[in-house]
Amino acid sequence: MRKLPLLLLAAFAPMQALAADRVDLDNHVFLERVTTDANGRERVLLEEPKVVVPGDRLVFVLNYRNAGAQPADRFVITNPMPAAVRFAGAGDAQPVVSVDGGKQWGLLSALSVTMPDGTRRAAQPADVTHVRWAFDKPIPVGGTGKLMFRGVVK
Amino acid sequence: MMTAPVGGAKHHQLLPSCSLIACAVALALPVTADAAGTRAGSTISNTATASFDTGGGAQTINSNTVDLRVDELLDVTVDSSDPADVPTTPGATNQLLTFSVTNNGNGEEAFALTTIANAGGDNYDPVVTQIYLDNGDGVFDAGADTPYAPGANDPVLDPDESIRIFVLATTPGTVVDGNRGIVSLNAAAKTGTGVPGAVYAGQGEGGGDAIVGTTGADGRDAGAYVVSAATVSLVKSAIIVDPFGGAEPVPGAEITYTITATVAGSGSVSGLAITDNIPTDTSYVAGSITLGGSGLTDAADADAGDYNGTRVNVTLGTVAGGQTRTVTFKTRIN
Repeated sequence: MRKLPLLLLAAFAPMQALAADRVDLDNHVFLERVTTDANGRERVLLEEPKVVVPGDRLVFVLNYRNAGAQPADRFVITNPMPAAVRFAGAGDAQPVVSVDGGKQWGLLSALSVTMPDGTRRAAQPADVTHVRWAFDKPIPVGGTGKLMFRGVVK
Repeated sequence: MMTAPVGGAKHHQLLPSCSLIACAVALALPVTADAAGTRAGSTISNTATASFDTGGGAQTINSNTVDLRVDELLDVTVDSSDPADVPTTPGATNQLLTFSVTNNGNGEEAFALTTIANAGGDNYDPVVTQIYLDNGDGVFDAGADTPYAPGANDPVLDPDESIRIFVLATTPGTVVDGNRGIVSLNAAAKTGTGVPGAVYAGQGEGGGDAIVGTTGADGRDAGAYVVSAATVSLVKSAIIVDPFGGAEPVPGAEITYTITATVAGSGSVSGLAITDNIPTDTSYVAGSITLGGSGLTDAADADAGDYNGTRVNVTLGTVAGGQTRTVTFKTRIN
């Protein structure tokens, strides 16, 4: 638990240097380790990914900041899924996703995938190709926020 | 909580009621990894983009890129390919067990093979004489398959690749019908084995680390032989009928000999034949041989019996355990 604030501070550090840009978008990937303590309680640790193997759970964290002098309107953040990572949810702040390389967007539950035989099935997390957050209000000057989604190394 | 698209009013606090860590716990999902997964040494590269408009038209910026190198997972499984215990016989050599070794890791890996025949749980220890590496046809052929030499030709497998392994063993001559002998084949990653999660720094394919997977990078499975032997016992009896209606062994009396062959055990005997010399001072009664109650001719011909002037012979061939064969013939006392 103590590790995370330090890591996030580190994540913010380079943004200050880039303050000339109007919007900063900082991308960090953490490795999620689940351990069970002596009382049988599960503890989740987010670590710098030093060793990554198939099956590992990754947490992608995007920090944004409007460092410019004007509000940023029509603010949209898009993260294409790396090919070797399977989407595994995005917490309660459900983003819209694409399962067709970015052509169509929607909540995962509203999307479907065409099967080779022409039938359609409901989209699964493994089908996600892009994750997107679209803000319907401008980001004020100096406004910051944090987005996250999770993935599993295929 | 919100659903997308999320409102700008809360943009600064998308995870307002829980820390990132707490949310992660709540959302833990079961994970099934692909068979071998992303190849070791490949790079996971992540970049996000933000598009926005600050009054001068739409702009797009990229985030920094995070590159993660995928490390090598060391995992291997061994499976016995024999559907049941392999029958053997006492003293038999080159008795074959078949296994498959599969690289369940995500990198190319060499595996050291060993056998264990004395782990107990059986009746005897087969004597392993040679391990062979299959040439790819899945069928054992000592001329075509490669004898395994530890350290010299350890099989190197790609992720998800399997190789068939043949183990040859000798069955001790002292075993008896029904005895089982177990041989286990062990395959161990050459990079290293150990507790899951153990790291061999810098030894993974593609320059990363190698990490021991859930199998311990060490797989094993057991195959077994079962001794299938048979024994033959012969019982011979004689009934005398004299010319006067009695049972005295006097000249002219007829002797009916009955020979019963009983085969016992779970195996079978092959090439079984019953041969009996006609005793001196008696004469064979022509055409008197029977097998299972049916008459046989005296000539050496298509049927199983013959008389050659000195002895009676009945060829029984292969007889399975639990069966009997009864042969009779007659002689007359001179």
